[in-house]
Order: sequence, then C-alpha cells, then structure tokens
Amino acid sequence: MRICVGPHRLSWWLTVAGACLIATATAGCDLEYPEVVVENQTKSQMLVRNPSFNGCIWSTVLAYGAATSPGRCLPGDDHVHFQKFDAEEYCQQQASDGTFPGICPCDGGVIESAANGSVDSGLVNTVPTWFNYQTISTKHVDYGEFRIFTIRLDDMEQDFSVPSPYGHG
Amino acid sequence: MAPLPARAQELPVDGGGGTDAGTTADAGADTVSDSLSVGIDAGGLVDADISPPAGPSPYDVVVVGRRPTKKDRTEDTTRVDGQRLRDNARASTFEDLAQEDGDVYVSSRGAGIHGIGNMATGGIRIRGLGGSPNSQILVVEDDAPDYQGIFGHPIPDAYVPALIDEVLVIKGGDSTLYGTNAMGGVVVIRNRWRGEDGYELLSDAALGSYQTTRASVSALGRIGNWDMEAALSDLTTDGQRPGAGGSDTVATTALRYRLTPTLRISVRNKVTHVDGNDPGPVTTPTPDHWFDAWRDNASAQLVYTQDAIRLTITPYLNTGIHRLYDGFYSHDYVAGSTAELDLRLHSQANLLFGLASEGVAGTVVNRITEDHPDVRDHIDGSLYSQLTLRPIARTDLVLGARELYSSRYGSVPLYKAGARVDLGWGFSLHSRVSQNFRQPTMSELYLPYPVANPDLKPEYALNSDLGATFVSEHLEISGTGYRTEARNLIKYFGQWPAAEVINIDHVVIWGVEGRVAAKGLGPLSVMVAGDRQTVGRYTKQNPDGKVDFIVEAVRNIGAHSLAGTLTGEWVHGLYMADYGRQPMADVFVMDLALRDRYTSVERRLTVEPYLLLRNFLDRRYAYVQNYLMPGFNVLAGLKVGI
Repeated sequence: MRICVGPHRLSWWLTVAGACLIATATAGCDLEYPEVVVENQTKSQMLVRNPSFNGCIWSTVLAYGAATSPGRCLPGDDHVHFQKFDAEEYCQQQASDGTFPGICPCDGGVIESAANGSVDSGLVNTVPTWFNYQTISTKHVDYGEFRIFTIRLDDMEQDFSVPSPYGHG
Repeated sequence: MAPLPARAQELPVDGGGGTDAGTTADAGADTVSDSLSVGIDAGGLVDADISPPAGPSPYDVVVVGRRPTKKDRTEDTTRVDGQRLRDNARASTFEDLAQEDGDVYVSSRGAGIHGIGNMATGGIRIRGLGGSPNSQILVVEDDAPDYQGIFGHPIPDAYVPALIDEVLVIKGGDSTLYGTNAMGGVVVIRNRWRGEDGYELLSDAALGSYQTTRASVSALGRIGNWDMEAALSDLTTDGQRPGAGGSDTVATTALRYRLTPTLRISVRNKVTHVDGNDPGPVTTPTPDHWFDAWRDNASAQLVYTQDAIRLTITPYLNTGIHRLYDGFYSHDYVAGSTAELDLRLHSQANLLFGLASEGVAGTVVNRITEDHPDVRDHIDGSLYSQLTLRPIARTDLVLGARELYSSRYGSVPLYKAGARVDLGWGFSLHSRVSQNFRQPTMSELYLPYPVANPDLKPEYALNSDLGATFVSEHLEISGTGYRTEARNLIKYFGQWPAAEVINIDHVVIWGVEGRVAAKGLGPLSVMVAGDRQTVGRYTKQNPDGKVDFIVEAVRNIGAHSLAGTLTGEWVHGLYMADYGRQPMADVFVMDLALRDRYTSVERRLTVEPYLLLRNFLDRRYAYVQNYLMPGFNVLAGLKVGI
C-alpha cells in the first residue's frame, strides 16, 4: 500500500509531527519537579534516618551536619518527615538502668534497675529505637526550585501520620 | 414503521462499530430472519418494530444486529460504547466509566496503574456500595464473572478498551441474574467480533509524561464460518513520583466458529500481567512496596438459537498468582459454569431459566515468615429465572428469583421485580427492587490482614429505584431516585493486634442522580451527570456528591474529522475513614483530548494522531489521602487502522 504525500499532505503531516514533538517535549514535565535536599542540623549525638518530603524519601542515615543528595519531589507543601535516634539520651538511659557493665552515672547515683532499685527491670529496654518525627514548620517548593531544608532541635515534633490499611489486602 | 433503505446495504441495528459515542441509550436487537425488533430504553430513542415489506423486493436487505447486553429492560443502566472508552482522556477504563455517570465513583492514584495490595485504587462504588476492596460490584466479561478468588474483587488494570464493544453498567445490582458480588452494581463488558468477512487491524502507540508509553495492537478477522480476534496492550510508566510507576500488559485471544446458522461455539483467553509499586502517601513514601500479579481468564461459550429459543452455556476459569513485597504469595482459582435458556413464550412474554455453579479456591503463603494460613474452598450452585411480561403495549414487567445453595451458608434466596413504561413522545418511567448479596471473601474468612473471622455471613442489600427519562433527537434527560439498604455488612474495627471483623448493623443510603445530554447542536455535544446521596456512617471513600461533564466539538473537513473533548469531574464529601472522620478536600479535575481522525475509504485506512492533556489546570488533588494525583501531564499518540 502506497501513501502518496503531496505538498498539502506533507505540510499536514509536518504540522501533526510538530504538535506531537511539542507534546512529547512537555511530556518531560516531571524534569521540572523541584529538587530538595534535607540536612541534619540537630546536634552531634542525634542521627536522622530516612527523611522524606512530599513523595521523596532518602533511604539513608544522616549524621549531624550531613545532607541528602538532591531528590526530585512533588511541588507543594509538606513537613519534612524523618526518624531520629538520640544517642546521648540512649546512653544516659542505659547508664541509669545499669544495662551495660562498667557504664554508670557519673555522679555515682543509684542504678535504678538494681535488685534494690525502684524500677521494674521489665521496663528496661536496651534496643535502640528510632522515633517518627517531623518538622513543626511546613516547607513549600515550586516547579524548578532548589531548596535545602534543615532539621533543627527547635523545629521538630512527633509524627503520628501512620497510614492505615485502605483498599485491598 | 421506519422506511427501508433505497438500496441494498447492511443496516447496523445498534450503535456498533464505534459510531455511537457513549450515550446512555441502551440499544440492541435480536437477529432474526424475518422481522426485526429494535428496543432502546432507559435513555434511548424510540421503540420500533421494523418488518420487511410483504411483497417481493428488488433489493436485498441484510440486517446486522447484536443481542442486547441488557437482559432486564427495567434496570437503570448506562451503556458506554467501546470507541468512547478508546477515545477517553482518563487514565484507565474504570475511570472512563466513572466519567459517564454521576453515581459511579472510581478512585485513582496516578497515571494509569491502579495496582494490587493494601493501597491499590480503581475500586468502584455504585450508589454507595462497593466495598473495600470493591467486592460489592461484579464485573462480567463476555458472560463470565471476573473476580479474584482470595480477595473477591476484580483487578482494575485487567480491563483495557482495545477489543471492548460496549460496557453496560447496571446500577442497583442484580444478584438474581449474576449471583454473588452483584450487590451494588454490575459492570457487563462485551468484546466485539467482526461483523463482515475480512479483517481489520488497529494499532495505537502513545508517549507521554513520566516516561509513559502506551501501545496496543488489535486484530479482528472473519473468514467463512470463523471469527478471530486478538489484542495486545501494554502500559509502562515511571509514575508522577518515586515508586508510582509500573507496567500493565494484557493479551487477549478469541476464536469463534459458526457450526450452523443457529449454533456457534467460541473460546476466549485473556492473560494479564501487572507489576508496580505502592508509592505510599507523600508524607511517608514507600518506594519498595512492590507487587507483581499474573492472571488468566479463560472461557468458552456455546450459543444455540432457534426461533423462540436461545441457549447459552458458558464455562469459565479465572486463575491468578499474586506476589507482594512483604512475602505474600497466593494462587487463586474461580471456576464455574452458567447455562441459560431464553424462551420467547409469546410476543408478550419471555422466560429465562438459568443454572449456575461456581467454586472458589486458593492457597496463600508468606514466603518470608513461612506462614501458611488455612484457606478452605467453597462451592455453590444456583437455579434462577426471570419472567418478562408485556401485558400492554410499551409496558414491561420483570419478575426474577434465584435460589442459591452454598456449601458454607446453605440457602440464599434472592428476588427482584421491575417495571418500565414508555409513555410516548420520548418519555418513559422505570422502577425496580432487587435483593442482592455478597459472600464473604476468603481473605475476610481466613487471612490475618489484619484479622479473619471464619464465621462471617453474607452481606445483603435491598436496592430500589424509581426514574424517568425523556429522549428526543437532540436532548436526553434522565433522573432516578434510589434507596440502597445493606445489612450484615462486613466491617473491620480497630487495629492489630486488637482488630476484629464482623457482620454488623446495616446502612440505608438515599440518593438522586441525573443526567442531561444534548447532542448534535451543530458541532457540539454536551453531557452533565450528577449524583447526591446520604451515605450514613460508612463514609470511607464514599462521596456525598459527584458531577461529571463532557463537552465535545467535532468538525469534519473533507476526510478529516477534528474533535476536541473537554471532560471534568468534581467529587464532594470524600472521607478517608468511616463516621465522617478524616475529611478530604473536594476533587476537581479537567482533561482535554484533541484528535484528528483521517479516513480514506479507498485505501480502507484511518490515521488518527491525538493529544491528551490531563489535569491541564495543574490542580493538586487526591482521591486517596496523601496520594497526590499527577499535575498537568500529556500523552501524545497515533492510531492507525486498516
């Protein structure tokens, strides 16, 4: 089957092809998504794990002062969500509970989990626990922007946005 | 009586071949040798009896028609033409259906993949019923029910429009004719066959935002007594955010042989593979929550027609293998058979008898924890009948009953009654009441997701409606008031480890839906459909109101048909939990489709470049909380047909 392409038909096809090219070019609109970086500026003993923002998640652990790589996130508003582990608080608690041999409170205080202590040994927990937190402030990004969001001690709260099962099993 | 054509030609009796752009008109005809009866109801045109002239005619008239998909003329239905679905700008077939109807709601989460697993979308709600997952809505494809054996719901990604001839949405359900899961509604899909000798090929290739590629190839053929069809569709996308991508491949083949003019046999098989990821809410993304599912739907059909008798026997087998990121691995099987005998007792009476049986089985294992929940098979058998009476002209009365016996629940009696009156001058009234049911799924009975209860009983619904329709050449107006009463609803309460699932309480939903369509206003056609309902306390993904509109402009310039279609949807009163908790913002989105269909009759060729501009207002919205839908995105494609 031959399809003859005269001048008029050729211009029509060129117009159509041009429209498709333009549409295809705009099809990469996700390339204009904003780029976001999250930085841990809490304290030297606090680790931040798996920060996320508006659909982006970085599967990483950030030490104090460290930052994620730029991620392309959806434009819009969201808190920065993350998990935190406070090593200082953990060590203080273990010292107080006497769970690690040789590690005791510096002031020589009573080890609460001792046999004559007042704390039920069942309440002692040696497993480091990561808690879900989010920034108190809401961050905003728009198409084409590059933003660095910092996590600070004075800008964090517990994150209770745990999704529940919705549709299918 | 309609005039006969001036020369010999084929008369398509109903809207086949893509010429009818998705109206509510439910048209169909029985192909008979001597006379032709055309019945179009619930929003259609006119009732007419067309008979050939008594004397000899110098012309041969060949009437080509199809058996109506709709078996009960008193049902409130919406018929959507397959061509309409192929032209629609929405990202999936179920979303296309929701676009046509105010009382049909379909959730979505992205650029075409609904997915499988905990946060999958694509669930359908019709007049407040649907369930989560949507096991209260039954999908029937070519007379074979289609639902997943373990979780009891259809897989939305398995339905692609490449071969679809028409879809009939039966609102209010019909368990008398269709059995379990037809509780809130039935989506009846009929795929097409070629109506004349020869072949046709259609290819559709598109490229779009988020690295989306969509391609399909379909072929239909008719040679002698053989009919053949095959189609392959593939959609692959990265999605609008990390983890939202996936792929969906559907391959369909079918073969039909006409043994005699009155006896034909067909076989059909559809294989679906969908894989992707649940991206999680934007607040807590989960880019590694993958899913992978294979499904096969096989069926055969024997059809015998002779004078006033039509016998249809349809055995079917649906199987699936599902894998999830958390180790879930399942095999499921739904096998059954239906035999229907349709008798035309009299010009004023039709009697339909049916015999059906179905078995559901499956196995589930967690490959990580090596748990093997005990899942027990289930079978049932049914005897059903439907009597259609036409005591006076233009009046249909329908009575139906079904006695189902289940290996788990024993006897399940079902019934329905309906009436339809054509008042003349385009006006008609219809009313129906139907007792429907849904059996508990294997997941609800045996699987700890989050908890199971093997003592669950079936859900029941008593659905009733009353509606009126006016149809003229350019205007179609319909309105229906409905009442949905469901009891023994299966609900989950609490969270693991304190969760429980029980049959509890009941709900009454009152609603009103309407549709106005103006056609042929010069180059313009406009349709607006809306629904308003009071859903009671079960508000989770059950909106209070919805409005859909379609504005289409078509201009023919020589061999070119230029069309622009503007569609929009507004959803109000969405909640992410029951009891009015977790309200969500209203959804409002508009899409634009542009196409230029070039047809060369001499070369038997159609070429159609098209451009879909979705959410061109770049609105931020979500059907599921924190599952943001894509912003402005495009899909550009080219269809070629020979």
